[in-house]
Amino acid sequence: MALKQVSSNKCFEGFQKVFEHDSAELKCKMKFGIYLPPKAETAKCPVLYWLSGLTCTEQNFITKAGFHQAAAEHGLIVVAPDTSPRGCNIEGEDESWDFGTGAGFYVDATEDPWKTNYRMYSYVKDELPKLINANFPTDPERMSVFGHSMGGHGALILALKNPGKYKSVSAFAPICNPIQCQWGKKALGGYLGSDVSKWEAYDATQLVKSYPDSHLDILIDQGKDDQFLSAGQLLPDNFIAACTERKIPVVFRLQQASRFCDPSLLGFCSVIFGVHTWQAVKRVSLNGPRSH
Amino acid sequence: MSSRSGSARDYETRDQSHGRSASPPVPELSETETGGLIFYHMDLYGSKERFDIFPEEPSGQGDRSLGDTRRESTLSSEKVQRSQEAGYDLEKEVAELAKMYGLDEDREKELELLGGHLEAAESRRPRARTEKAGSQVSIHNASKSSSPVKDQSQSTKQQVLPGEASQDEDQSKGRAEDEAESHTWSREGLSSGSILDEWGSQAASEEEEGADVFCSTCKIPIRAFDKLFGEHKDHEVSQLPSAVESEKEEIHKNMCKLEEQIAQMENFASHLEEIFITVEENFGRQEQNFEVHYNDAVQVLAQKYEEQLEALGEEKRQKLEALYGQLVSCGEHLDTCKELTDATQELYLENDKATFMKAAVTMVDRLEEFLKKEVDLELSTLPEFEERVIDFSEVEQLMNSINTIPAPCAPVINPQAPNAATGTSLRVCWGLFSDDTVQCYQLCYKPVSNERRSDEQAEHTLQVKETYCTITNLLPNTQYEFWVSALNASGISPPSERAVYVTAPSPPIIKSKKIRSCENAALVCWESRDINPVDSYMVELSKLTDEENGDVITESIVGIPNCEVLIHLQPTQSYRICVRALNLGGSSERSEPVLIHTTGTYFCLNEDTAHPLLAILDDGFTIACDQLENPECDLPVYDNSFTRCIGILGSLIPFPGKHYWEVEVEEDTEYRIGVAFENTPRHGYLGANNSSWCMRHIITPSRHKYEFLHSGMTPDIRITVPPRRIGILLDYENCRLSLFNADIAQHLYTFNSHFQQYVHPCFALETPGILRIHSGIAIPPWTALP
Repeated sequence: MALKQVSSNKCFEGFQKVFEHDSAELKCKMKFGIYLPPKAETAKCPVLYWLSGLTCTEQNFITKAGFHQAAAEHGLIVVAPDTSPRGCNIEGEDESWDFGTGAGFYVDATEDPWKTNYRMYSYVKDELPKLINANFPTDPERMSVFGHSMGGHGALILALKNPGKYKSVSAFAPICNPIQCQWGKKALGGYLGSDVSKWEAYDATQLVKSYPDSHLDILIDQGKDDQFLSAGQLLPDNFIAACTERKIPVVFRLQQASRFCDPSLLGFCSVIFGVHTWQAVKRVSLNGPRSH
Repeated sequence: MSSRSGSARDYETRDQSHGRSASPPVPELSETETGGLIFYHMDLYGSKERFDIFPEEPSGQGDRSLGDTRRESTLSSEKVQRSQEAGYDLEKEVAELAKMYGLDEDREKELELLGGHLEAAESRRPRARTEKAGSQVSIHNASKSSSPVKDQSQSTKQQVLPGEASQDEDQSKGRAEDEAESHTWSREGLSSGSILDEWGSQAASEEEEGADVFCSTCKIPIRAFDKLFGEHKDHEVSQLPSAVESEKEEIHKNMCKLEEQIAQMENFASHLEEIFITVEENFGRQEQNFEVHYNDAVQVLAQKYEEQLEALGEEKRQKLEALYGQLVSCGEHLDTCKELTDATQELYLENDKATFMKAAVTMVDRLEEFLKKEVDLELSTLPEFEERVIDFSEVEQLMNSINTIPAPCAPVINPQAPNAATGTSLRVCWGLFSDDTVQCYQLCYKPVSNERRSDEQAEHTLQVKETYCTITNLLPNTQYEFWVSALNASGISPPSERAVYVTAPSPPIIKSKKIRSCENAALVCWESRDINPVDSYMVELSKLTDEENGDVITESIVGIPNCEVLIHLQPTQSYRICVRALNLGGSSERSEPVLIHTTGTYFCLNEDTAHPLLAILDDGFTIACDQLENPECDLPVYDNSFTRCIGILGSLIPFPGKHYWEVEVEEDTEYRIGVAFENTPRHGYLGANNSSWCMRHIITPSRHKYEFLHSGMTPDIRITVPPRRIGILLDYENCRLSLFNADIAQHLYTFNSHFQQYVHPCFALETPGILRIHSGIAIPPWTALP
């Protein structure tokens, strides 16, 4: 599990670095970006995992999100993994932008030919945190997750499938109900097979229905005029309805933006990001919400 | 006594000049002065009284010194006489007995004083009655013989003629005086004095013959011989040089003590100087008093005398008249007798018998008739005069009254001292700047009133023994006028000036329901209980800790002109706050204290702003609306109340920083909660304008809808769990207003706004329901914003 530093840049008194390592889970070389805030030089810091959306690599978030200031201020280590295995030479992995490379969908594939390498769920859930905790000054008890679009979906399912593992979860324009949308049907069908019931294990809206407690509050920002929202790819209403039903606290903010948080268009607004970061900080710095 | 610059030296020179002015210069004056301390003492206390008793006129320095001269010269001559008789070794006696001089002096003073009275009376008399020199003498003698103070020296003095005394003047008067005094003293039988004297002379003579050892017991150098055989036989002795050394050491120590004493004495001297003035003043007053009384007495005496004399003369005249009448009748009788004798003899010479017989019968009848008349040889009046009682009772009464004190002078009332007043009492002080005897004071006061209602504003009068009095049962914050008179047996003094005192105000009442506070400050307001305005207010803070020191005032804020103050405090502490009102008279008692906890922001609801349909329950923090329409439609609407939105404003402390409060709501309650400027339109809805920011909850058929309204605009936000307890964080510093689901620490929304003014919490109900407001709670850590 040797780490190889690819790059390192001073950033807001901390360091933005990129490392490469051999992933046991994914059976390939993987890169991830990590921001080490100034506080990391003297103390163990909570870790915030950022899961990117379709087509992205570890670089998108690093170069465009503009999160560094907030992370530096709050003493957060931010880890941005890639969105899929790379260079596995699986037939058809580069055929489309919404499946295969850059579209790992944060699931553990069960279908050939993907099941060997496309285990992004386990990679993000287990291997990466172990690697990070082993090599950086982290507080393993305090980790949060957030993401965008497909990454938002990943963040939601990671949080909902692992109660208590993540202190907070938030998402920008997440794919909330993949079993109901085109992207999800394609990806889940490809990676998990045609049995729709298996898909439900990776569907946030379905997972909410069986979520054991509400010790988690979820922040979702959504651009109002997002083309994918109107195209029925994201389906936040389904998720909100499920959360309302199950009394899972969600604040869903429909923002005045066309393609809100489009990573390719530098849609991140640092204030919005700040709120999400704060959401993470709030959670990681407390034992949890008030018991009631 | 013209100059009073205060060093002891001044006294000396002054005393010298007194000595000179009081008596003619004498050659031995310097020797007299060497008696330093002794004469100092005498002059300080004695000279003035000796010289100034009963001056003929206030400025009669010359007369006085003349009189003194005469008196002193009589004294000295008397003493010379006596010293000649005694034949003492006077020089030594002077040295030894000078120590006792003061005692002797006092006695002598007394004598002189008494003598002086008589002299004064004597000398004043000629002015009163100059025409009857003879009678003056008799009165003088009468008063003298009745005087109880007559003693030997007095009579001696009387015997000496002024002429003789003046002959003695050029003799050494000062010494003679001393000698005479010492003589007097020894005469009075302090036999130890003479022993001392003997010892003194002996010691002196021994010293002359060359002493070589020192007797520690007797403290004198003696000859070794005396140690062996003399009276020092059993005494402890030491060699003279070592004795000298130890004595020098001793002297050095004593020098230091002396220096201390000099300083002390200098202080004392300046004190004495003040006493001088007082003595002068007292003397002047007493003198005047005596003069008045003695003049009265003399007048009465003179009058009595005149009356008596007149009566006596009358008696004499009557006696003489009676005697004269008798003498006249006696002469007449004699004439008749002679005439009869002549007629009878003529008859004998008649030769004619008939004629003789005729005439003889007539003659016999006449004789018979004449002789029938009895010759009255009794004295019609006695030469003795009636016994007349000389009644001195009236004079005695007058004389006795001389010793009684004069009516006192007006006291001087002091202006009001700080802290002399409470709300219901005043401590008034005054002083008496004369030495009058005062039995008590009569203190009067009445409230100062602008209106002329003197009969209603009754004066109060108190008898007080002390020069102060605490008057109680007064009205707070009220002016009173005080004046005081002194009383003694002789009468009452004129009243002092009037002084106005003012009682302290009543303690204010803190409006505990209107207290607002936050972590760093508190806004306290109160009301005065006094009708009259007070000068200012003072707030006292005590920080309460676990230890019992709540009474320790940790901070005071003074000079507060209004009934409101913003106090800066420290977070998460408890404070006890009291208010006092102040005026010229002092400060009131503390108000009832209020406790302030700087745990969080504490505010109260501003009832004036409440919509008529909105009710505030007893706890003051629960608002309720039972119905949206009032059937009567005639609810009172106040100027400041909301008319449309069933809302109310809180009164938040105008203080920067962060403020947090929470509102408990039912899930189905429709409400608007947030903040608004104080002047937000009362006819509009909260959030519908740019002077209010609020979260609104309404229930649509499909869902709970939450709006975050400002200027009528809201973002589209969905909340899956309806909050039951809404946390509101107002952060002036970061220009934010954030709303939370406080139960699960869920951030709901944040307004970003630069609040141009301070805002107040606002609450409104859209449907019947209840809102429970919680303030004074700490800001939860999860509200910390990025």
